[in-house]
Amino acid sequence: MAADLELLQGTLDLLVLKALAWGPRHGYDVARWVRETTHDDLRIEEGALYTALHRMEQRRWLAAEWGVSDNNRRAKYYQLTAAGRRELKAQAAAFSRYATAMFKVLQTA
Amino acid sequence: MRPILSWPGLRRAFRLGRAADVEREVDEELTHHLELTMRELVERGLPPEAARREAERRIGDLAATRRRLVALDRERVAGERRADWWGALLQDLRYAARGMRRRPGFAVAVVLTLGLGIGANATMFGIVDRLLLRPPAYLADAGRVHRVWFGHRTSEGTVFFGGNTSYRRYLDLVADTAHFDVVTAFVDPSVAVGLGTDVQEMHVLGVTASYWRLFAMRPVVGRFFSEAENQEPTGSPVAVLGYDYWRAAYAGRADAVGKTLHVGQRDYTIIGVAPAGFMGTSMGNVVAILPITAALFEATGRPEPIRSYGLTWPEIVVRRRAGVSVAAADAALTLDFQRSYAQQSVEMPGLPPIGEFQPRAGAASILKDAGPGASPEAEVSLWLVGVAAIVLIIACANVGNLLLARAFGRRREIAVRLALGIGRGRLLAQLLTESVLLAVLGGAAGLAIAQWGGGVLRAALIPDVDWSSMLADPRVIAFGAAAALAAGLLAGLAPAWHAGRSDVASSLKAGVREGTFHRSRTRTALLVVQGALSVVLLVGAGLFVRSFDKVRSVRLGYDADRLLWVNPNMRSVKLDTMPASQLRDRLVAAALRVPGVEASARAGSVPLQGGWWWNVVVPGLDTAYTNHIGGGLVLLQPASPGYFQAMGTRLLRGRGFTAADQAASPLVTVLSQAMATALWKGADPIGRCVKIGADTAPCRSVVGVAEDIVDNDFESKAEMTYYVPVAQWHPEGGGLFVRTRGPADRDAEAVRTALQRQMPGDAYVTVRPMSDLVGTRMRQWDLGAAMFTIFGALALVVAAIGLYSVTAYGVAQRTHELGVRVALGAEARDLVRMVLGEGLRLTAVALVLGLAAALLAGRFVAPLLFETSPRDPLVLAAVAALICVTAVAASAVPAMRASRVAPSVALRDE
Repeated sequence: MAADLELLQGTLDLLVLKALAWGPRHGYDVARWVRETTHDDLRIEEGALYTALHRMEQRRWLAAEWGVSDNNRRAKYYQLTAAGRRELKAQAAAFSRYATAMFKVLQTA
Repeated sequence: MRPILSWPGLRRAFRLGRAADVEREVDEELTHHLELTMRELVERGLPPEAARREAERRIGDLAATRRRLVALDRERVAGERRADWWGALLQDLRYAARGMRRRPGFAVAVVLTLGLGIGANATMFGIVDRLLLRPPAYLADAGRVHRVWFGHRTSEGTVFFGGNTSYRRYLDLVADTAHFDVVTAFVDPSVAVGLGTDVQEMHVLGVTASYWRLFAMRPVVGRFFSEAENQEPTGSPVAVLGYDYWRAAYAGRADAVGKTLHVGQRDYTIIGVAPAGFMGTSMGNVVAILPITAALFEATGRPEPIRSYGLTWPEIVVRRRAGVSVAAADAALTLDFQRSYAQQSVEMPGLPPIGEFQPRAGAASILKDAGPGASPEAEVSLWLVGVAAIVLIIACANVGNLLLARAFGRRREIAVRLALGIGRGRLLAQLLTESVLLAVLGGAAGLAIAQWGGGVLRAALIPDVDWSSMLADPRVIAFGAAAALAAGLLAGLAPAWHAGRSDVASSLKAGVREGTFHRSRTRTALLVVQGALSVVLLVGAGLFVRSFDKVRSVRLGYDADRLLWVNPNMRSVKLDTMPASQLRDRLVAAALRVPGVEASARAGSVPLQGGWWWNVVVPGLDTAYTNHIGGGLVLLQPASPGYFQAMGTRLLRGRGFTAADQAASPLVTVLSQAMATALWKGADPIGRCVKIGADTAPCRSVVGVAEDIVDNDFESKAEMTYYVPVAQWHPEGGGLFVRTRGPADRDAEAVRTALQRQMPGDAYVTVRPMSDLVGTRMRQWDLGAAMFTIFGALALVVAAIGLYSVTAYGVAQRTHELGVRVALGAEARDLVRMVLGEGLRLTAVALVLGLAAALLAGRFVAPLLFETSPRDPLVLAAVAALICVTAVAASAVPAMRASRVAPSVALRDE
């Protein structure tokens, strides 16, 4: 665990949606992808990650099914629905604008 | 690896994760996660125990996470279930709509069948609701408000005289504040409203001021009147207008208040307007509401009768105090009535002693037709409710049958769906959705039918009730919706049950030919039920038609269809005997000058409307005997020359009256045949002496015998009447009859205009066709005959459609078998006989069952019939014949089709 950045409010959903953008994954996979992609920079409590998955499933951004995982075990797979894809697009755009704006502010001495 | 299930439909069908599984799935998911994390950590070299701790640490609060996930999933599952339900419903509706579009003929037949059934029921519900169920508009605490009935006790039980009593009686009862917090009286007479040629007799309501307290309402404008304005003898001339009249005559203007309205003999100041729909405790619309003292004065034209026990027009309405039971109210009213009767006996000597008379009174429903003294129309209406329900059952059976036929046709489709894994529950839901959708459309059609057809029917058959629009009545709408839902479920039941049992393998194996023909027992039973119920209704229709026919062919003793009854109403004009008599003679002369009038004559009273009953004394006969002829009532009818010709009453012996029969001429009389026979048996009555009322009266010699007339009701035959020249008996009173060449109602207005010109001052005439009076008395049978016939015909048509469709379907299904028969040498004739024979066998069973049911039910309907036995052989035979003819007609087309089956076609089907 390196810098252990606190996760910004509301960005967990975006992170998870992005994790699923390449296809269905189960919860452990999502957690590992986030960890590896961020090089462990973000400290994410995995309980919160699962809560986000289930909440987004309830909102129908994600659809979940039981499938068989690599180790031949039953695992719950999540995938983006059409609504989830729209949400990912919208949240990604909003976050980029936000980050750009913040960055500009921080660059002005 | 990707999930195997990604097709949405299948995913739904195989969905995992129902409520019970939620916890298990969350645990499984978290365990899986922990295991994978541990494995990864162990691979990196951590000892298993440390790896486990690290994995759990990364999760955070494991127990809290689990709780959160379970809660979230539960919500999701519940939401999905709701969405599934709606989705399935939508899918079923779409499926049903698609089916209907594919076979519009089928859909139309079903919707119409159910529409007629539901329409009939909505119509009857509207009628019965109005007559028997719904309390009057604005009435507060309806459950505690009662009409008071009066009666007396005889050895056979209580005899009701209904609710009409005197204003004096009301004054005697009003003191009973211990049991009632409102005691009030009302009258609803027809009184002349307006002046000049505009004058018209209209319904007004006369009430005591306490009457307003029964209702929770305020005047639209102005105020209601107070008890100070209802003082004897004639009350204050103030009027509250009925809402509809206010809109019609005063365009709904608030400044109508303060204007005057001429009612009866006086100008009334308008003080207020009642709210829309207010009709008091009666059924008809009212023009104005007056103080009861004023209304009685205008209706009788004299102030005196208000104090008399003899004027029995008003009805009394009471409201029980909370906590006073109906039984206690009955007892209290009886006691009050007895006290009042004792007082009456003091003022009117000669009444039967109270111990013998045993006066009784009680609290009845505020709705007249729900209590003692209900109209026969209300009784017939109740019967018709049952009849309408039977029509709906027949319609449901028929629709069930049609749906069943379709379900059989779709057996393969259903089997395929079952094989593909659709749940039987879903399949049933789908079939029921289809029938309920059809029924809802049928319900809409039914309400439209009730609105248009029922409106005409109600107004024609029960005219003196103010019917509001059916579609404006939420109770009728609600009833229609409930009936539609019930019909849909009922009709869908049999097909759904069958589909639920269908056997996948055998249906699939049966192939294109749909297996061997086997007649469904359910369908046959439904068919027989329809047929039997139709028989019952048709027998009912036949009995009422016979009754109506009989009552119409009763020789009334006068030509009701070509008679007008003219009643002069003098209002404030006071005439002495001679001028009054001359005025009536002038009216006769004026009537004779109207084109289209054939004859006219004066009369003291109108048959069916009552008149003078005076006993006669005959020298040589015991008065104890003569006082009891005609049931103690013999009618005295003063008549002018030409009376018998004008009425169309036949003279059987002797002569009628002539211009020579003047006041000073020898006293004469004409007797009705029944009366002459009662007095002198077979002996010749001409020249004999009859005295009116007492032995001291002068002798009148009998100069003629006239045929009997129907006077009070159609069933008591020997109505006894005697006639005297009007010049010799109260020449100042009575009215006249006008006989027209054509139907009387056509000339009524011309006669009224001509006669009105003769009337002095504010006096006026009313002209009414005699057939209206007669028609009112016949309405019970008229209503029964019309409605039973309509419903019976409806039932027959529906049953015939049912038989046709079943037979036709059977033939279509047996094409192969019939082809084989033809190939084996059967002739067309044999095939026709076979198909017809099956239809007729079913019909015979239905007929036997139906006739048995009709004979059983007949006992109960007997009191409503007129001189017709409920086992009338003519009716039973006619119904049997009609049913057989219909059955042959219904199976003839399919039979012909069967006879044309070519063996090659049939065998090619293979």
